[in-house]
Amino acid sequence: MSLLGLLHFVLPKTFALFASRLSYTIPSAQPGNLSVERARQIPAVTSRSGMNSDRIVGNSVPRKEGRDKVTGRSQYVDDMVLPDMLFGATVRSQIPRGRIRKITLDPGIAWDEFVIVSAKDIPGKNCISLIVDDQPCLASEFVNHPEEPILLLAHRNRYLLPQAVAAVSIEYDPSPAIFTMEESEGRAATIWGADNIFKTYLIEKGDVDTIWDKADHIVEAEYTTGAQEQLYIENNGMIAVFDAAHGITVWGSLQCPYYIHKALTALCNLPAEKVRVVQMETGGAFGGKEEYPSMIAAHAALLAIKSGNPVKIIYDRMEDMAATTKRHPSRTRHRTAVSRDGRILGGEIDFTIDGGAYATLSSVVLSRGAIHAGGPYYWPSVRIRAKAVATNAPPHGAFRGFGAPQTLFAMERHMDRIAQTLGLSAVEIRRRNFLRPGQATTTEQVVREPIDLGKLLDRALEVADYHSKKQRFASVDESGFSRKGIGIAAFLHGAGFTGSGERYLSSVVGVEGCADGNVRVLVSSTEFGQGTNTVLSQVAAEALGLPYESVSLAQPDTLAVPNSGPTVASRTAMVVGKLVQSAAVGIRQTLISSNLLNEDYTAEQFRAACQHYVAEHGQFRSWSRYEAPEGIYWDDEKYRGEAYAAFAWAVYIAEVTVDLTTYRVVVDDFVALQEVGRVLHPLLARGQIIGGIAQGIGFSLYEKVVWQNGRMQNAQMTNYIMPTATDLPPIRVFFEELGNIHGAYGAKGIGELPMDGPAPAILNAIVDALGIHFDSVPLLPEDIMDALDSASPVSAVGAMGGSR
Amino acid sequence: MTDSGESRAKQAISFTVNGEPKTAHAYPMERLLDVLRHQLHLTGTKEGCGEGECGSCAVLMDGMLVNSCLVPVLQAQGASMVTIEGLATHETLHVLQEAFLECGGAQCGICTPGMILASAHLLNEKRQPTMEEIREGLSGNLCRCTGYSQIVEAVAEAGRRRTTA
Amino acid sequence: MRSNPSDYEMVAPGSLQAIVSLLAKEPGLWLPIAGGTDVMVQFAAGKLPARKLVSIWNLSELRRIEVTCGEIRIGAACTYTDLRKHERVGAEFPLLQSAARWTGGIANQNRGTIGGNIVNASPAADSLPALLVYDAQLILVSVRGERRVPYAGFHTGYKKTLLARDELIRAVCLPRRFSGYRTHARKVGVRNAQAISKVCIAALGRVVDGVVEDVRIALGSVAPVPLRLTETEQIVRAKAIDSDLLSSARKTVASEIRPIDDIRSTARYRAAVSVNLVMEFLDRLKSESPESGELKGVLARWNRCSSDEAAAAILPCCGSRVWAQRMVARRPLADEASLLAAANETWNNLAPGDRMEAFRSHPRIGESRPAKASSSQSPPVESVKWSAQEQQNIRDADAAVTIALADSNREYERRFNRIFIVCATGKSAAEILEILQRRLNHDAEAELHEAAEQQRQITEIRLRKWIEG
Repeated sequence: MSLLGLLHFVLPKTFALFASRLSYTIPSAQPGNLSVERARQIPAVTSRSGMNSDRIVGNSVPRKEGRDKVTGRSQYVDDMVLPDMLFGATVRSQIPRGRIRKITLDPGIAWDEFVIVSAKDIPGKNCISLIVDDQPCLASEFVNHPEEPILLLAHRNRYLLPQAVAAVSIEYDPSPAIFTMEESEGRAATIWGADNIFKTYLIEKGDVDTIWDKADHIVEAEYTTGAQEQLYIENNGMIAVFDAAHGITVWGSLQCPYYIHKALTALCNLPAEKVRVVQMETGGAFGGKEEYPSMIAAHAALLAIKSGNPVKIIYDRMEDMAATTKRHPSRTRHRTAVSRDGRILGGEIDFTIDGGAYATLSSVVLSRGAIHAGGPYYWPSVRIRAKAVATNAPPHGAFRGFGAPQTLFAMERHMDRIAQTLGLSAVEIRRRNFLRPGQATTTEQVVREPIDLGKLLDRALEVADYHSKKQRFASVDESGFSRKGIGIAAFLHGAGFTGSGERYLSSVVGVEGCADGNVRVLVSSTEFGQGTNTVLSQVAAEALGLPYESVSLAQPDTLAVPNSGPTVASRTAMVVGKLVQSAAVGIRQTLISSNLLNEDYTAEQFRAACQHYVAEHGQFRSWSRYEAPEGIYWDDEKYRGEAYAAFAWAVYIAEVTVDLTTYRVVVDDFVALQEVGRVLHPLLARGQIIGGIAQGIGFSLYEKVVWQNGRMQNAQMTNYIMPTATDLPPIRVFFEELGNIHGAYGAKGIGELPMDGPAPAILNAIVDALGIHFDSVPLLPEDIMDALDSASPVSAVGAMGGSR
Repeated sequence: MTDSGESRAKQAISFTVNGEPKTAHAYPMERLLDVLRHQLHLTGTKEGCGEGECGSCAVLMDGMLVNSCLVPVLQAQGASMVTIEGLATHETLHVLQEAFLECGGAQCGICTPGMILASAHLLNEKRQPTMEEIREGLSGNLCRCTGYSQIVEAVAEAGRRRTTA
Repeated sequence: MRSNPSDYEMVAPGSLQAIVSLLAKEPGLWLPIAGGTDVMVQFAAGKLPARKLVSIWNLSELRRIEVTCGEIRIGAACTYTDLRKHERVGAEFPLLQSAARWTGGIANQNRGTIGGNIVNASPAADSLPALLVYDAQLILVSVRGERRVPYAGFHTGYKKTLLARDELIRAVCLPRRFSGYRTHARKVGVRNAQAISKVCIAALGRVVDGVVEDVRIALGSVAPVPLRLTETEQIVRAKAIDSDLLSSARKTVASEIRPIDDIRSTARYRAAVSVNLVMEFLDRLKSESPESGELKGVLARWNRCSSDEAAAAILPCCGSRVWAQRMVARRPLADEASLLAAANETWNNLAPGDRMEAFRSHPRIGESRPAKASSSQSPPVESVKWSAQEQQNIRDADAAVTIALADSNREYERRFNRIFIVCATGKSAAEILEILQRRLNHDAEAELHEAAEQQRQITEIRLRKWIEG
C-alpha cells in the first residue's frame, strides 16, 4: 500500500472529526461559471498510474513540524546554547527626545568584565537599513523615542546584566517632544524631515468635487484605532557569531531572513556571502518579527564582533513590549455623499497613521490602508488622502492586516452610520453598494472574478440567524440589566505585495531532488505557526504526484535558500506557492528529459530516478522566478491600477451582550464567512481564521496600550490584556472557493484577512445594542460607561442613564 | 555588588524529573524554570512572560500544575516533576499530543508544552470535562495563534479517547 | 528576569517553630514566602527589596483545614485549590470559594495562598472582601506565642497591616454561622480569568418576612484597603427593600468608597460599578426571599444550563445516561420534592439495559472502583466519590467480615450476573453482609426488583446531597 493510500486510511477520522465543525462550500460547476471551471483545471499534475487519486492539497495533512512541537523538541532561539556564549543587553533612552550630553558608567560594577558597544563600534553604516535609512542601530548623539538603543553590554553571566544596565547613567538635554498625530500635524515640534511627514499618497477616482451638490445626504465622521502589541508568546531573540573567515552568522526568531541579511551587510560593511542568517523555530510573529529582528541581529552581531564570542540577546516581556514595534495608531475621516436610496455617490477619505519616530515600514502600511479604505464597495468617485506622520514613540511597524484593519474599521462603521442616517438597514446599505464583477475599485482595478457579495452576505446572515436575532434583540425589555446586539462587517483583503511590489521583489524559489530520493523546497519563507512548512510541502508533493512525506522544506538559511521574499502580506501560499509549483515541475521535467522517468510514474520510480540523477550529476535543483502576470498594470505615481493580484472577500457577523452592571462586552457568537480562492488545508485555514479573529476581538475590546510621554506604561502581560480561553466564544468559520489563477492551486492569501472584520462587526453590534455611536477601538467598559452617561442617542431606542 | 556578610552559596537541591532523580546545584532563589532549562537542558518548558500570566512555563509538581517561573528551586526540593519531555513514552505519543496534532491545537508551538501539561492536569482532575470546563482549566495558558477553539477540541477529543480506551 | 539569584538567601527550616525563631532572631530581615505568586513576580521584575526569604510553602502546620463546632480554621498556607476542594468551605463559605475560583488560573491557584493574599495586602485582592463579611479572625504566631485578632482591623493603610515584624499569620478562622444567608459574589476584571480586579463584591444577607435582618457588604479596589460598607449596611439593616431604600443605599455606597484612577481603570468607572454591584445584590435579596419558594442554588443553576452540562451534572446520582437525559428533559424542576418525584418516576420506567448501566457504575461493596469499565463510558469521578462516602462504614470492618463480604459478593455475581447493589448509607459491614446473604436466596426476578429499589434509594440520597450544593 502506498504512503498516500495510508494517508487516505488515516485521514477520514480526522476529517470526520473536523467536518462536523467546518463546512465550506464549493460552488457547483454551473454552465457559465467559467472561473470555477478554470480554477478546477489548474493542473494538479497527478500521475496517472499506481497512485491514489486523492489530492494532498485540500486535505488536512499532519503539520510538518507538529510532532516536535507537541513533544517540546522544537528548537527556538533561547533553546540554543553555544560554547563560550555571552549574553547581551541593551541600554536604552529614558527620554522621548533630546541630545545625549554625557554617559557615565557608575562604580560598583566590574566593568572590565563586560563587553561594551556604542555607535562608534559600528563598522559600516549606523542604521537598520529597510526602506528609508533613517533609523540608527545605536543612537550616537540624539535620541528620538523612549527605549531607543544607545549602548550594548555583554557578559557571560546573564544575571549581572540588569544591574549593569541600570548602572549606566545618561544625562540628556531634552527637546520638546510630540506624542499625537495632531501634535505632529500641527508641528508643535518638527522631529522628522521638514514637516514630520514620512509619506503621503493620493488616490483619486472620478470627479469628487462635483458630487456634493448632487447628494441627498452628506455623512461625516471620524474613526480612530489605537496601537496594538503583537504579543507573540515567544519574545524576540538572536544569537550571533563572528569570525574573520566566515563573517557573521545569526540565528533567531524572525520572519524575513533576507531583510536581516540586507541590514547586516550595510551595518557591518560585509559582502553578501559573509553574512548568514538562519531562522530557528519561531514562536509567533504576526508582523512583529518582520523588521525589528534586524535591530536585534545587528546588536548581537556588534557584540559578537567586538568580543569574538557568540552572543545571545533574548528580550524579556517588558522590554519586548516597550521597545519593539506595534500596530500603527490611526485616524480616518470620512465625508461621504449619498443618495436617498442608499447609494454612495462619492466621498473624501482622510487617513492618517502615527509612525513613531522613524520611517521603517510606515509608507507600506499607509499604502495598504489607503488602498483598502473604500472597502468592498463601488465608489463612482473618491479622493483618498493618506499620510504617515512622525511622533516621539518607538517606531510602529507591521502587524497582521498592515493598515487594512484600520481603514476597514472606519469604512464598516461608516456604512452603518450612513444606513442609520438614511433609515436603511445595515444589510441593505451594503447590498446596494457592493462591488460587482466588471466594476472598478477605488484604484480602478476591475473585478474580474464572479464574486457575488450579495450572496456572500445572504449566506452569512443565514448562518448567523441575523434577522431573527436582530428583531429579538430590538424588542427586548429596556429595563433589563443587559443588552444584546448583532453587527455586520463586509470587507476584502488583497493578497501579495501591493502594485509593483511583487515584481520588485522578484522572488526566487528552488526545489531540490535529494540523494535519498526525497524532495526539498528551498525558500526563505518562514514557518511561525501559520503553516508554511506544511502548505508548501503539500503544493510540491501535489505538483510532483508524490506522497506528502517525501517533501520537506529546508531550514531558511540565507546560505542555502534563495530569496523568495519576506513572509508577509499573505503571500506565502499564494505567490510563493505558485513558484514552488513551477519549480517542482522543473524537477520532474529534468528527470523525464534525462530518460530516467516516464510521463506516468509511481512514487517509487520517482525516488529511484532522483537517486540515480544525484548520484550521477550531483546537486539537482530547479529554480523558478516570479514573473508578473500579463495584464497586471500599476501606476506608482498616480497610485492607480491593479493593486493586488487577488482579493479575498468576507462577511463577518458578531453577536454581543453588553452587561449594564459592569459595562463589559461579551462576544456570544461570531460567524466568519470568507471566499478564499481555494482551501489548501482545511484545519490550518480554520486555525488561521479563528486565531486572527481572536486577535481582532482583542483589538476591539481588550488591548489598550497606555502611553505616557511616548512610553508604554502597561508593558507586562498583567496589564496589557489579551483574551484567555474563557473570553472567546466558539468561532464559526465558513469558506467559499472561487479559485485564483494567480495562486497555487487556486489559493488566495488568508493570513491577514481575519484581522479586518472583528473590530467593525463587534462595534456595529454594540451600537446596535446600545443605540449610540462608538467610533474608536479599543472600546473598554470605561468608555462605554462614559458614553452612556453623556449620550444623546441617535436611534429611537431612547435615552439611557449610566446606571440602573 | 552586595554586602558579603551572609553566605549565598549554591545548594544541592534534589528532585525527580520525569521519573529520573536529579540534583541541581543552584542558588535557592533561582527559578525552577531556569534550572530546568539551563542546568538540566530540558528546554521544552518555555518562558513567555516571567510573571505567571501566560502559562508557557507550566510543569506538574507533585501532580499539581504550577508556573515554574514563579517557583524558587529550593521549594522543589524532594518534589516529583513532570515536564513536556516526560509525557510521551519513547516514541509513543500521549493521547493529548496525538489529539493536538490531529485537531490543529498547535500552531507556532511555543505555548504548546504548557498547554498540554495544563490539559493533562485537567484530564487528571476531570475525566470528560465539558467545553466550558476545558476553557476554565486552560484559562491560565495564553495562546496568541489559535484563538483556542482547536485546542479545546483537542482536549475534548483526548478526554473521549481516554475513556473509550 | 531582572534580579540576580546570587544576591538572595532562602532557607526552608521545615517547622513553624524554627521559622518563628528565625523571624525573632532578625526581625524584619526575613520575608516569608509561601507559593510565591506575588513575591516571585516582584523578584523577576527586579523589584523585590527583601534579600532573605524563608519558605513556608507546604508546611503541614500551616496547611490544614480544621472544622470545629464553632469555626473553620484555615491554615495560612492553604492554597486557593485547597479552598476550592474543601467541601465544608464550599458549603458554608461560598464567597471564599468563589474568590478562590477567580484568582488567576489553575497554576496560580495551586500555589497562591490565603495567607499570602492577606499579607500582600493589595486592596484588589480577591479573597479579602469575603473574609470581611464572614467576620474572619486571624491567628498570628511568633516566638511570643499566638494571638487572635479580628480581621476587620488588620489592614491599617495601603499595604500596611498589624502584623509585627516577627509574626506570621498561622490561620484564618471563619465562624460557622452563615449557612442561612443568601450570598452574592462578583468580580469585575479586565477579562474573565487571570485578571486583577477592577472592583469586586462579597456580600451576605438574610431577609425574614420581607425585612433585612442582616446584611454584610464588602468591596475590593475602592479604597486603600478592602472595604466593609458599614454605613450602607446600617441604612439597609432592619428595613424592607423598596425603591426608596435602594435609592438611599445607592447614595451611601457612593459616599463610602474612595476609588482611584490607575493603570487598570478609572475612579468614575469603579464608583459607578460599585454602586451597580451593590444594587444587584440588593435586588437579588429582594427577589429571592424565602416566602416566594426559594429555589436552591444548585437546582436553579441546573435548570438554566445547557443540556449536555445538565446531563453530566446529574448523571453521578444514578449512573444511567438515559435516566440523566430524561431528567434533563423534565426541566425546569421547581423544587426538591419535584426533583425526587421525577427521579423516581424516571427510574421506574427505565429499560432493563439502562438499569444495568446504573448498577455497573458502582464499585463492588468494599472496593473503591467499579469492577469493570463499561464498554461505553467510565462513571464520572463524582460517582466514585459518592460511593466512597456511602461505604464509609465498610472500611472499618474487621478482617473476617471483609473476607466474608468478598466471598459473598463473588457468589452473588456468579448467580445473578451483576454486582450486588445495596443502599449502604448508615449500615455497618455486618449488616450489609447479612442482607447480602439473605438476598442470595432470592430468585432472579425478585432480586432484580430488590436491586432496582436499592438503586432508587441510593439515587434519592445522592440527589438530596447534590441539591444542597
